[in-house]
Amino acid sequence: MEQEKGRYLYGVAASERAVRLGPMGIEGCDVYTIPYEDFCAIVHNCPTEPYQSTDEEMVKRWVSAHQGVLDEAKERFGAVIPFGFDTILQPRDEAISPDQVVKDWLKGDYERLRALMEKIKDRDEYGVQIFYEPGVVGRQIAEQSQEIQKLKEEIATKSPGMAYIYRQKLGKAAKAEMEKLADRWFKDFYSRLKPHCDDIVIEKTRRANGDRVMLLNLSCLVHKEKVDSLGRELEEINNMDGFSVHFSGPWPPYSFVAKAVVSIKGE
Amino acid sequence: MEPTRDTHATLVDLLDRVLDKGLILNADLMIHVAGIPLLGVKLNAALAGMETMLKYGIWQDWDEAQRSIAAEEWRQKRKEVPLADSEIATTF
Repeated sequence: MEQEKGRYLYGVAASERAVRLGPMGIEGCDVYTIPYEDFCAIVHNCPTEPYQSTDEEMVKRWVSAHQGVLDEAKERFGAVIPFGFDTILQPRDEAISPDQVVKDWLKGDYERLRALMEKIKDRDEYGVQIFYEPGVVGRQIAEQSQEIQKLKEEIATKSPGMAYIYRQKLGKAAKAEMEKLADRWFKDFYSRLKPHCDDIVIEKTRRANGDRVMLLNLSCLVHKEKVDSLGRELEEINNMDGFSVHFSGPWPPYSFVAKAVVSIKGE
Repeated sequence: MEPTRDTHATLVDLLDRVLDKGLILNADLMIHVAGIPLLGVKLNAALAGMETMLKYGIWQDWDEAQRSIAAEEWRQKRKEVPLADSEIATTF
């Protein structure tokens, strides 16, 4: 125990109880709570070194354990403010116990934590990603766009050389049309989802698997009473020809507690 | 439709969040590695996740975000003296 001067932080819950959650932490560490007034930090004891590994599977297990502890804490305490992976507190000198450092921090950040707790109460985070299939959507565009129809008709009457140039034109016209539409879809879908969410973070889109293109990547803070209506809205989008939706959650509100300031105090 | 927490289907959602988000602490309370608050070297901590992240194309953004956080801290520490690009690149 002498070396275990670090406290790995999983999250903060609204409970004044000091309880043991058991050996469910990263690497099977014993997880317990350190209370200050009506909040408690959910922690395990560790050396003052970050968890790092080049073994991908191991990191996945660590991350899953981190999430598992937060799920358990949510079950027990209700709302939990989550920390990201590898948040470890250490005493600055020998005179202070590691648990005291955690208490001092809870005390110092109490107001900020209270405001965050208020914001996330009765709410969870959901990941929403909307994809489209350029193939399917492209065919629809071709059928609807007069410019594209006209180009297609003209190609039929051209010599092979000219037809090639026209096909290039056609490709460009289709791409421009697709981009214009993607912009419109983004705005349309966003405004349809917004009424169901208390807060939204627009994430960067990523390359998708297969033929799909990710149009929209959102983290949504949703009140528990609005999850069903959000699900219905997404269902409608998912049923549109050429579109699909990935709807994940509930997650701890990772995306809605991260904005809090990084402050540096004097050395 | 119902949201899913299926482990296989939501691994990227989970990694995105746990490795890159969550509450941020005052840097002076955090453990330091080679004089840099862990916040900044989280980069190394999750390096095992790198391949996964590369695979899903999320590594680059994350790397940039971590670097900018660390760079911002150092700027504040050095009392508004901006870092040269080359210094930022060698922070780690």
